[in-house]
Amino acid sequence: MTPLVIGLLIGIVTIIVLTSGIPIAFGLALVAVVFLVGFGGLDSLGILAETFLGGISHFSLVSIPMFILMGAAVAASPAGRDLYEALDRWLTRVPGGIVISNLGACSIFAALSGSSPATCAAIGKMGIPEMLKRGFPASLATGAIAAGGTLGILIPPSITMIVYGIATETSIGRLFLAGVFPGIMLTVLFICWALFLAWHKGYQFGEVAARRFSLREKFEVLPRVLPFFLIILGILYVLYGGVATPSEAAGVGAMFCLIMAAVIYRIWQPRRIWEIFHTSTRESVMIMMIIAASELYSYTLSSLYVTQSMAEWIAALEVNRWVLMGIINLFLLIAGFFLPPVAVILMTAPILLPIITQAGFDPYWFAVILTVNMEIGLITPPVGLNLYVINSIAPDIKLPTILWGALPFMLCMVLGIVLLCVFPEIVTWLPDKLMGPEK
Amino acid sequence: MELFIRSVRALSVFFGIVAAASLVAAILVVCQMVVMRYFLQASTVWQTEFVTFSIVGATFIGSPYVLLTKGHVNVDLLPLYLSQRIRKALALFVSVLAFLVCVVLAWTGWKYFHEAWAGGWRTDTVWSLPLWIPILPLPLGMALLSLQYAADICCLATDREPPFGIQPKEEGE
Repeated sequence: MTPLVIGLLIGIVTIIVLTSGIPIAFGLALVAVVFLVGFGGLDSLGILAETFLGGISHFSLVSIPMFILMGAAVAASPAGRDLYEALDRWLTRVPGGIVISNLGACSIFAALSGSSPATCAAIGKMGIPEMLKRGFPASLATGAIAAGGTLGILIPPSITMIVYGIATETSIGRLFLAGVFPGIMLTVLFICWALFLAWHKGYQFGEVAARRFSLREKFEVLPRVLPFFLIILGILYVLYGGVATPSEAAGVGAMFCLIMAAVIYRIWQPRRIWEIFHTSTRESVMIMMIIAASELYSYTLSSLYVTQSMAEWIAALEVNRWVLMGIINLFLLIAGFFLPPVAVILMTAPILLPIITQAGFDPYWFAVILTVNMEIGLITPPVGLNLYVINSIAPDIKLPTILWGALPFMLCMVLGIVLLCVFPEIVTWLPDKLMGPEK
Repeated sequence: MELFIRSVRALSVFFGIVAAASLVAAILVVCQMVVMRYFLQASTVWQTEFVTFSIVGATFIGSPYVLLTKGHVNVDLLPLYLSQRIRKALALFVSVLAFLVCVVLAWTGWKYFHEAWAGGWRTDTVWSLPLWIPILPLPLGMALLSLQYAADICCLATDREPPFGIQPKEEGE
């Protein structure tokens, strides 16, 4: 059997195994074990434990549980409410300000918590009723929040970017910077669409300013929100100043967020602290297990020469690089419909990266393209986690309404991908400026 | 059987707490390391390894607890559309497969641990930690995970728990 046929077989078996409902981590390990033993005999199991353990024994991976903990601390506090309120008070007189504050709050909160569902829940709980009260259509209100929540995996610090960095051995700091402008661009695209739609449906922006906030009211919300801003800025500064590694920055960031949750929001009761650690332990164990298992998976692929032959085969096809990129995008999009972002990145990045670099694409630029594809998967059925979160916090609004509301935002992301293809500088400018051109 | 399920669950919860504790330890040590390195200009010897291995340990040791609380993500699209009977059969089949994977991992992990123990392997750093210490959570965690899967299979077979955690009443959706 040629490596390509084996690769095809592994692909098909993986799809079947993962559809069965087995946890992704064990499904990947199962496929790896079956193919290793099938082609290499029982002796090949000798390497199993070492690969499995080695897959997660990296200091840079420590940043994942740390960022998860940071997000859990933020999500457990009412920081989302304050953030929303602060933006609302400052933007209430701006036409369509409510949309801007909702999407803005989503992107900031998403950056801090790094979790899409947590963002939808935190901002949506206040934002959706408020937007409905001010006469926005339900589909727009829910769609905007669903889309805004997806920004968390793009705007730094982002866990999917760390996972990509580890899977492809690229710089995590550089990846974080690469996500900044695309994240802002998507936020602006979302806002533009929301405003356009509201205007199109005859929404009267002039009457929005239901209430004026005094300067005092505007400033009194800031002290509770600013520290979280400072944490994000601090983490970015520390990373790019070359002061500390991502894991150190994440560890200190998590510590600060925990302290802040305790001091500002008085979350110090053992039960609530345990809640934070309970959710973060669950989440990080789940992700780390997938990482360990996908190490086995990609080890299997490369020991059977699948990875290498795939890259050679695609290079030999000599298709136009943009056609290739289109096909890869489509593939990622479909994978993202069914699988969580981390799993897609871990399974595909080792195979795709050699193909991508061979075709002359920048690996950092590709990381952003991949991530935006994953964002789309978060708001499209059948899995579309964000849709269900919104359905549960706004039970009066039917799922199809949310879905139709989210669809145009999905198209905004597709437009975003096109823009990134035409202007790759949106991704590469900031990292090049701050970290110097890539070696 | 009730006793078996109960004790396995208690074990999983206990090691879940251990995992959370090592997460806490990791954070504290990272902060200590940052203070040592950047504020006191001191060199750090053991911190990097300690943190890395405590996260690895937390992952393996915490895994059964995550299974118990249904935290290992899966694609439950197909199971959602199946009838209750076929769904149960599929859940049993899938759990047995996952159980076998865990057993294989536990067994190879044990062999790896034993080699490191008998060979007196150490990490090639200044700290020179005996390698069996960071390896131990692998066989231990995977063995516990196999136990938790066995308990889950019992629960499934005796209808104590719905397959894939999907309640029958949700079927209409």
